This record gives sequence, structure tokens and C-alpha cells, in this order.
Amino acid sequence: MIIPVRCFTCGKLIGDKWEEFANRVKAGEKAGDVLDNLGIKRYCCRRMLLSHVEIIDEILRFYEEAEKRKEARPY
Amino acid sequence: MSKLVEIEVLEKDDKNMRLLIRGVDVPYMNALRRTVIAEVPCMAIDEIVVIENSSTFQDEVIAHRLGLIPLKTDLEGYNLPEECPCKSEFGCNLCRVTLALDVESKEKTRTVYSGELESENPSIIPVSDTIPIIKLAKEQKLKLEAYARLGKGKNHAKWQPVSMCTHKYFPKIEISCKKCDGCGKCVEICPRKVLAKTGNRIEIRDLMACTLCQDCVETCPQNPPAVKITWEENAFIFALESTCVLSPEKIMTEAIKILDGQLKDLERQIKVKKSEKD
Ligand SMILES: [Zn+2]
Ligand SMILES: [Zn+2]
Repeated sequence: MIIPVRCFTCGKLIGDKWEEFANRVKAGEKAGDVLDNLGIKRYCCRRMLLSHVEIIDEILRFYEEAEKRKEARPY
Repeated sequence: MSKLVEIEVLEKDDKNMRLLIRGVDVPYMNALRRTVIAEVPCMAIDEIVVIENSSTFQDEVIAHRLGLIPLKTDLEGYNLPEECPCKSEFGCNLCRVTLALDVESKEKTRTVYSGELESENPSIIPVSDTIPIIKLAKEQKLKLEAYARLGKGKNHAKWQPVSMCTHKYFPKIEISCKKCDGCGKCVEICPRKVLAKTGNRIEIRDLMACTLCQDCVETCPQNPPAVKITWEENAFIFALESTCVLSPEKIMTEAIKILDGQLKDLERQIKVKKSEKD
């Protein structure tokens, strides 16, 4: 759904690194290099970011679309 | 076991600590490791009261996420709820910290971060301000009150002050100059790049990195192998990674204090049992 706060296996805080990770990978950097750069060493924590899909963004799109329709209607 | 314990700091920053400890045995090292993980208390949100929640997440999911947020801990200023003189289930201001969250999305979809939690004690705050708690679409609201308490790792992983705490044997590598023909197979196979080849000789490049996997011994064409991997008696590399709730040295001193207390307690109980027998 949304990025987990901590690594499932070891409990390291990873939630606050997701946005930087996602933006840098989107900009074309290699995911492995970004993870190294963020100081995420263990593979349990690395898979947390590597395999994550923000499904909440897809769900919130329904609310955004409904809002747009509401605004388009004059009454 | 010798009486003198030697501790050398190999590496230390605000999060990580690596120690070389000599003169203790495996049971003591393991007891220390387990005390760090399960007995050193730290702060975490334990209970929440949801006043309004019109987000896409259920109350329980939000409660779970809030619980996992590491909070900076002040061990001197607060009591464990079970040891607090107030004896109340709800807690008093010596064993409980209240944090409030009141957020709403007015215009467009937005992320709510841990920095928006308002604590009644400015020193008990999330270790990072940028942990996403939830995403809200327009007109969604979240209003809640959270109660943080001290707790121990044995009750829930959110109260664990470390994300890693390990001990391993201190490696000892012996390379026999007579038997070794410098083929370099052991250098190639080592996953941690412990060995290096200079000229026709094999040298140790990074002793600490050795995991005692014995791959180099198995690959050596000589019989018996020219390289021998063992470990030193009563010497350990102790590594610890804090979640930033407490500093690594604070975790370590606290763990030793707790372990000492438990050992004294055990001794007293044994003495009581003995005197009952007589
Ligand atoms: Zn991990
Ligand atoms: Zn109390």
C-alpha cells in the first residue's frame, strides 16, 4: 500500500528514504548505487525499497477523479 | 576465562558501533547481545485514540504505522509503566508521553509526515521528520491522539533500540609459506576479498572482513591445504546498529547495567533457596 516504516526483517527505519530513492531511480540513476548512497547495506532492507509499489497512489486517483467530476458539474 | 576484559573500539559514529572484545566467553557475549535486543527499554507509541479518520486506511493500520516510528528516548526522565509509582493503567506524566496529530488535505492529495506529530515533550519526537504516515486525498481528515510509553524488545519489536546486534569470532588466518605455490585460487574465491596476492605470495588484506566460511581452504589445491582458517579464543567482534532512539554507547552501558542487575537478582534467589534448605 504505502512504504512500510521499518524493514520487515531487521527493523531498520526505511520509510523516510523511499521518496528520495523513488525520485532518483526515476531520474535514471541505478537503484543499487542509490541504495549504497542512502546507507542501506543489508539485503533485507534493500529489498524493502527495491520491490515496493506505492499502490496508495493508484487508490487515491479514484478520489482525485471524483473530485474533478464534481468540479466540472455546474450545480 | 581471564579476569581482564579488553575492549577496543573499531568503529563508531552516531548510529553504528563495532567493538573488539577480548577476555570474555561465548555465553557472556550472547547474553549481552540478547540483553541489548530484548531488555534495553525505549519509547514507542503504544495506544492511540482516533477522533476522526476519513482516510483510505483503517484505524488499525495507522496505529501499527505510528507504533513503528522510532522516538528519541529519555531513559532518565521516564519510568517503565510496570515500575511507575502511579500504578495506573492509563499512566501519568512520568510514564507516558502524549502526541497529537491533526491533519487535513485542503486542496490536493498530500503526504502526512512524522514531523507533523506534535509531542507534549519536545525531546520525545520521531527520529526522522520525513517518515510518511499516510497519504490524504482532498477533504480527507485524520485526527488522533497517541500515547507513547517505554517498553522492552521482548514484548514488541517496536521497542527494540537496535536494528542489528551481532557478535562473531575474531578470525585467525595462517598461510604456510612452504606449502603455498601462489596459485591465487583462494584470492579469487573469497567473497569478502580478505586475501590479496602480491608477487608469488598470498597476504591478508582485510582480516576483520573474514566470515570464517572456509571457501579458501576447500579450494586450495595443496594437500593438506596451505591456508588455515581458525578463530582466536575468547575474542569477539561485537557490532551494533542503533535505530537512533538512543546512542550506541548508551545502549551498551544500559545493557551491561541491566545484565548485571539480573545476575545479582539470580544470585540472591539462589542464596534464598540455599537458606531454605538448611
Ligand atoms: Zn533490514
Ligand atoms: Zn506513571
